[in-house]
Formats: sequence, C-alpha cells, structure tokens
Amino acid sequence: MRLSYHWMLLAPVLIPAGGSVLLLLLDALLPRLGRTHWLIAAGLLLAGAASCVPGLLVSAGTSRGTLCLADGSCLYVLDRIGVGLQLTALVSGGVIALLAFPIRVPAERAAVQATLVLAATSGAAGVVAARDLGSWLVMLELATLPAIALVALRARTAAVDGALALLTTSLVSFAITVMGVALWFAATGSAFFTGAAVLHAAQSPDTHRILVLAVVFIVAGLAFKLSLAPFHAWTPEAFGGASAPVAGFLAVTSKVAALAALLVIFRGVIALGTSALVAIGVLAAFSMTLGNLMALRERSALRFLAWSTVSQAGWVVLPLAAVSARADRSAALYLVVYAVATLVAFVVVTALAHADGREHATQLASYGGLLRRRPLLALALTLALLTLMGLPPAVIGLVAKVAAIGPVAGGRLWALAIVAAINAMLGVAVYLRWLRLLFGARQEPERAGALHPVHRGLVIVGAGALVVFSVVPQSLLQIVGR
Amino acid sequence: MTALLVAPLAPVVAGLALVVADRGRRPVSRHTAYAVALAAALVALLASVLVVRDRPVLDRQWVPQIGMRLHLAVDGISVPLLLMTAAVGVLVVVHARHEEPEGGTPATFFGCLLLVIGGGIATFLVQDAISFFLAFEVVLVPMWVLIGRFGDARDPRERARAANTFVLYTVLGSTLMLVGILTMTFAAGTSDLAGIAAHRLPPGEQTAVAAILLLGLGIKVPMWPLHSWLPRAHTIAPTAGSMLLAAVLLKMGTYGVLRLVIAPLPQGVERLAPYVGTLAVIGILWGGLVCLVERNLKRLVAWSSVAHMGFVLLGLMSGTEIGIQAALYANIAHGVISALLFAVVGGLKHRWGGDDLQVVRRSLRDVSPRLSIVLVIGFTASMGLPGLAGFWGEVLAIFGAWTPGGDRSTVWFRVLAAVASIGAVVAAGYALRVLRTVWQGAAEGGTPPVAEPDGDARGGEWVVTAVLGAAAVALGVAPIVLLHATSGAVAHLMAVTGR
Repeated sequence: MRLSYHWMLLAPVLIPAGGSVLLLLLDALLPRLGRTHWLIAAGLLLAGAASCVPGLLVSAGTSRGTLCLADGSCLYVLDRIGVGLQLTALVSGGVIALLAFPIRVPAERAAVQATLVLAATSGAAGVVAARDLGSWLVMLELATLPAIALVALRARTAAVDGALALLTTSLVSFAITVMGVALWFAATGSAFFTGAAVLHAAQSPDTHRILVLAVVFIVAGLAFKLSLAPFHAWTPEAFGGASAPVAGFLAVTSKVAALAALLVIFRGVIALGTSALVAIGVLAAFSMTLGNLMALRERSALRFLAWSTVSQAGWVVLPLAAVSARADRSAALYLVVYAVATLVAFVVVTALAHADGREHATQLASYGGLLRRRPLLALALTLALLTLMGLPPAVIGLVAKVAAIGPVAGGRLWALAIVAAINAMLGVAVYLRWLRLLFGARQEPERAGALHPVHRGLVIVGAGALVVFSVVPQSLLQIVGR
Repeated sequence: MTALLVAPLAPVVAGLALVVADRGRRPVSRHTAYAVALAAALVALLASVLVVRDRPVLDRQWVPQIGMRLHLAVDGISVPLLLMTAAVGVLVVVHARHEEPEGGTPATFFGCLLLVIGGGIATFLVQDAISFFLAFEVVLVPMWVLIGRFGDARDPRERARAANTFVLYTVLGSTLMLVGILTMTFAAGTSDLAGIAAHRLPPGEQTAVAAILLLGLGIKVPMWPLHSWLPRAHTIAPTAGSMLLAAVLLKMGTYGVLRLVIAPLPQGVERLAPYVGTLAVIGILWGGLVCLVERNLKRLVAWSSVAHMGFVLLGLMSGTEIGIQAALYANIAHGVISALLFAVVGGLKHRWGGDDLQVVRRSLRDVSPRLSIVLVIGFTASMGLPGLAGFWGEVLAIFGAWTPGGDRSTVWFRVLAAVASIGAVVAAGYALRVLRTVWQGAAEGGTPPVAEPDGDARGGEWVVTAVLGAAAVALGVAPIVLLHATSGAVAHLMAVTGR
C-alpha cells in the first residue's frame, strides 16, 4: 500500500504532536526548565495555528486531501470549515498554555501538563480531518484522555473527583462510540465516513436500520464529549475541580474536537435524511434548557461556566437538527464565536484567580463591583458575556445566534425554533445575573495582588478581539468560509 | 448617502464613546456629556432631515455568512417615524439635562439615551430583515441600564425586577421575530424587505409564520395579554427613558408588524386578523378600565399606552388602506402625546416626590400654570378630542375596522369597532378623572393659592413640553400633512399585498 504525503496539510496536527515528544525529551535533558515548558508549548501551538493560515486562502468550496490510497480515497481531508476548526483548536490551546504559564506549580508537573495540552490539541486538530473509522476514533480519544490527566493533576480532592467523573464518562462514551463505529462498519462495509457508503447502505432496509442505530450510538457517544444533556453530568464536577485554565481547555478546545468529530459523521449522514437528525434536535433543546436553568442558580464561577457550556453546546448542535447544506457551516460558525467568548471569560477568571486567589475568583459574588475595582477585567468580561447572550454591542454574538437559528427556521422546525427562542431569553437571564454583579456593590478580596503581565496582555487581546469582531464580523466568520 | 450612515451612527458612536470614556480614571463631566449628547442628537436630526429630503439609497454586502446586507433607505411609511424618532431624541436629551436621575454618572446616562436613539433611527432606516433584527436588539442593553440603574431611586428591588422583566420579555419577542424572519429569508433566498414581500409562502405556512411574528412583535407593541412588562418598566424608568420607551421602542413593534407581517404575509394576516383584532380591542378596554382606577399617575399613562396601541393594531388588522393610514397616524400621535405626558408626569413626580393620585394636592393650574396647560393638552389629546393629535388615528382606525378588507368577517369587525368606540369613551373618562384631580385640584374653594417659586416648568423642561404640546395641536389641526406623506407608500403596499 502506497500513501501520498502532503506535509503542509498535516502540519497543524504534526507540530503539536511532535512538540509533545520534544517537550518530554527536553524535560529529561533539562529538568529545571519548569514553567518555561508552557511558553514552548504556546509557541508550538501558535506555530501550528500559523501553519493553518495558508489553508484560509483556498477558496471555500474546495477540500484538499492527503494520505490518499491508490483508489483515490483519502484518510485525511481538510475543507474550509476544517481549517477554521483546526485554527480555533490550536489558537485556543495556545491561549490556554499562555494562561497557565504564570501559575505556580511544582516544576516537574509543568512539563507533563504542557505535554498533555499539546497532545490533546493535536488530537483535536486531527479529528477535524480524519475520514476513516480508525484514525477518527484514535484522534478523538487523543483529544479526550489527556484532559482527564490535566484535571487530575491539580491534585486536590475536588480535582480528583472531577477527573474521576470525567474518566468514567469518557470510558462509557468511548464504549458507546466504538459500538456505533462497529455498527457503521457492519452497515456500510466501508471504513470511511463518506456519503457514498451511507447511500449504499440506505438502499436495503436492514442495513438502513443498522446505520440509523450506528448514528444514534455515535451521536450519544459524542454527546458526552460535547456535554449535551443528558450526558453532561461530568461537566460541572470537572470544571469545578480543575484549575481555571484547564477548565477553559475543557470548555473550548475539547468542544472543538467533539464538534469536529460530529461534523465528520454529519456530512455522511446528511444523505440519510431526517430520521437520525431528530436525535440531535432533542439533545439540543434539552441541553440548552437544562444548562440555562441550572446556571440560573449556580454560585460558583467555574461551575456557572460549566452550565453555560452545557447550554451553549445545545446552541452549537442546533443547526445540525435541520437537513440543510449550510447546517455544518452554521454550527462551526457558532462554535467559533462561542470559543472566542468563552476563552475571554476564562482568561478573566484565571487572571482574577491569579491576582486575588482562587477562592475569591471562583465565587460569583466576588465579581461584585469589578467594574470599579478592575475596569479592564470587567470590560472584557462584559463583552464576553454579551457575546454569549447574543446582544449588541457584541454584534458577533448576535450574528452567531442568527446563524444557529437560520437552518432550523429554514427547515420549518417550529417547535425547536420556539424552544431556541425561549432559551435565548433564559440565556440573557443567566448572563445578566453575572453582568449585574459587575456594576453592583464592591466586594474586596482578602488579598488583592497585581495582574500578571501575561494575563493582562491576554485580557487586552481578548477584549480587543471581541471589539474588532463586533465591528467587522466577517473578520472572524471568514475562517469557516462563506 | 453619508447622511444615511450618519443618522444612526452619530448617536451610537457618541453614546458608546461616552459610556467607555466614563470607565476611565476620571469620569466625564456633566457639561461635556450633555454637550456631546446634544451635538450627536442634533447631527442625527439634521442627517435624518437630509435623508428625508434627498431619499438616498445605500445597498452593500455586509455579513454574507448570515445573508445580512447593509441596505438603508426610507419610504413614505418610515419617513414620519424616522423624523419623530430623531426629533424626540433631541427633546429627550434636552429634557435629560433638566432632570438627571441618580444612580450613575451623567456620561453613562446620556450615552445610554443616545444608544437607544441611534437604535431607533437605525430600525426605521434599514431595508434588510436581519439588520432590522440587529437594530431592534441595539436598544435592549442601554434601555436595561436606563431602567435598572437610573430608575426610581426609592425601590432598588422593584427597579431590578422592572429592568429584567423588560429585557427578558423583549428578548423573547425579538428572538421569535428572528425565527419568523429567517423562515421568510430562507424561503425567499434574500433578506431584503422588498424581496421578502415579493415572495409568497404557501397559505398554511403564512399563517404559522405570521403567528410567530405577531407573537414576537406583540410583546414589543405591546399587545394584550403580552403587555405586562410595560406598566412596570414605565413606572420605574427615569422620565427620559419613559419618553424614549413610549415614543421610539413601541413604534418599532408596530413598524415591524407592518413591514414583516402585513407586507409579506397577506393571507396569514387575513386568517389571524379577527383574533389579533380581538386582542387589540381587549387591550383598548382593559387599558382604559385600569386607567379608571389606577392611583399611580405614571403607571396610568403607561396603561393608556396599552389602550392606544390597541387602536394602532386594530387599524393594522383591518386590511384597508384607511386602517393602515390610521395606524401610522396613531403611531405618530401616540409617540408625541405619550412623550409629552411622560415629560409632564415625570416632572410632577419629581416635584411631588411621588405620583400617588390619592394624595391631596393643590390644583396644578395655580401652582404651575405652564405645566397645567401642557397637561391639559396631553390628556385631552390622549382622550381623542377632535382638533388634537389623538382624534384622527382613533376615528380612522374605527372607520377602517367598520368596513374591513379582504375576506375578513364584516360583522365581527363591526363588533370590534363598536367595542373600540366604547374604549374611546372610557379614555375620556380617565383623562377627565386625572384632569379633575391634578389640574383642578382637590382643594376646591380652599385656601387661596400661594405662588411657589420653583414650581413651574422652566428652561429645558418648558421648551420640551411646549414643543411636544404644539406638535400635538399641529397634528390634530392639520392631519392631512401626515396622511398625505404616508398615502403613497400605503397605496403601494396595498397594491402589492392585494395580488
């Protein structure tokens, strides 16, 4: 068997993957490097992101493949949406590495953590382009498993509890996904996720039934990773236990991986018609409602963001409930906007946790009067929350909301659209809770430190990015094509 | 061409600049904030006048990913609303200088006012359904700040509740509207308002989409029974906020009904018209009856808004040219009258330290002759006295409903018209009740009036209320000017929907 290689296409996956090996070697040679590992990891991830940029110049309709077999089918295919998702995963991984840099941890742990972030991000970048069952599964798990260790490595009881919750659900979801993949293979007789294989299987009623079952299994397995209700139970535990940057990693980079994996399936399944997609609509509706209702009562900032992730995950998959050629782009678009806003929120929480102490920053009540105490952080957080609400002045959030509801309304799914509208309202109620605190009475921490320069820089860049994206929405949206 | 962009952007940019600059080390001074706000509002008014005179069109690609275009233009339907919004914007800024509420810095207050004005102007300029939704949403957060932070200082808890009720109701309404917009956009393949209106959905779908849109816009209008956010928000909001809420935000709802429901979905509207018309008439009666017993003066004016918007909806649902003309007229009339009433009543509340009608006070005509004149003009216009602004809109709406267009049931609409006339009688009842208590005063033949030095309207307040009072008279005396301005566009609309 001969394979063709196109190194430039593979670079976004290979750079972080090779980088994680490099970091381990470096740690063996120079054991005292400590937190510098984070800087190297961030550099590698941003280099990987830079290697995606040539892909953005390719016109929207085309997709490029490599690792192609003799019969012309390729194991690694990257279209315009894929490039955008890879870029999002790598940039978010890089931001997380930079966020983690100032945080003091035992020297030997930094190298391991940085390695894990690199490995998981490379998995996220890889699953975007994986087109065959084997590499899809491997990449998906590569994106998930290191995250468990990342949560556990904080080495507090809460962290271990969170990691355990994550581990158990990961194993279950892995089992379910593998089952689904096996059924897929049984139904289609093909090791590829292609529309042609699906159409072939759909012709006979027996294989059609198995295929639908396979899709349901795979969607359920991925729902764990996307934290869609009712498969979300690990999310608040893991977020609450993990350190703030790691929680950010779970909220952003892991979600990019999970949605990318879902899109790989979706492109094949769209040939099948509605029956399998109803499941996604139900999950979306349930997820956004539950996430919002729980967030309304939450008092811890990290767990609040966890519930917000649950409800936003519902919004991300909402467009996929409609059979529409644009649904995948809409989902990717929403995810990218969600990723930027959530990342900014986590940057603010981390920066505050580093300056004022974690106990302070993880309580929602401590954000009282932040606008007067730390105007920069409060402004960035305000923009992030407004984006998640989808209200101007954060126009980019509104654009994402329009994109998410578009395919559903276009597909005449009235019930789902009305559930989404009610959840848009609930979402506003949720984020207004936090927003109101920022303007409210001042809460002083026990010890107030200065912001770390790296954190300050990230906050400024994040807030600036949200402003620019709101003024010129295309600047962000074009990374998933038009 | 530039005027099209300047009209909405001048207030929005100036507003954002004021709010952001206020977060710096030193807050912006009162005078600077006022000067910037007044300049921005005047620029917007000037630009709007230029737009109305030259009728330019701007049509560009904006955010292709969601099919949003930057398409700005005006026609006969939007011209009066645009001018009223811009003019009321200037008056509101002038009035806000006179009565600045506590709760925050002046720059934030003026900034939020400007953002609401800019959003209102943008709503009446855009010709693209998705940017219409965007303009709709622009006003939400600033209005939330205006109610939640600058509202009635006495009751923080009620303030937060009113602000949240307002924002949650409105977000639900506008997202439902978005669902309807996107359905039509997908079906028509364009988000242009004219393109949407030209594409006809099948009748069953028209009914479904019209129902969703009317539900969403009904919250904004507000239509009974979706109105409950309005009295609460008005009672708490600062005077300037109430004026904007009544004169600008409610108009966005009825304008949306005309553009997004009546123009593109004629068959759906025809199916739903009897139901919506019934709800509108219930709103007229309900609002009027509440006003008869309401003790809180500001809330009373808010309830009267519910009744007046009922007439607007009834006119819109009649399906006749005269009905739609009446709705547009009543829209403007209500904008002027309610802005006037909120300015006066807000001033009274400020002076009295409360607005309970049960408290025995000296008659207003003795204490504040100027305020008492504009109060009389406002309430007589509100009850629909001929010769004042309120009369034409209501009479023509009832007239339109008497001979409904299309396949609407004539009998039912005549019943609705009859009940609406009873509502107009109730309006006379509550207007006279207020005038008897406030204008005439409870102290009949009692102690001789003593001149109070600071009791009357002066400066900004007098200018604002006098201009609005004059406008209410002018609209009533010469209704033909406004009716003429809208007739061409309405005739065109009827011709298009009649196909």
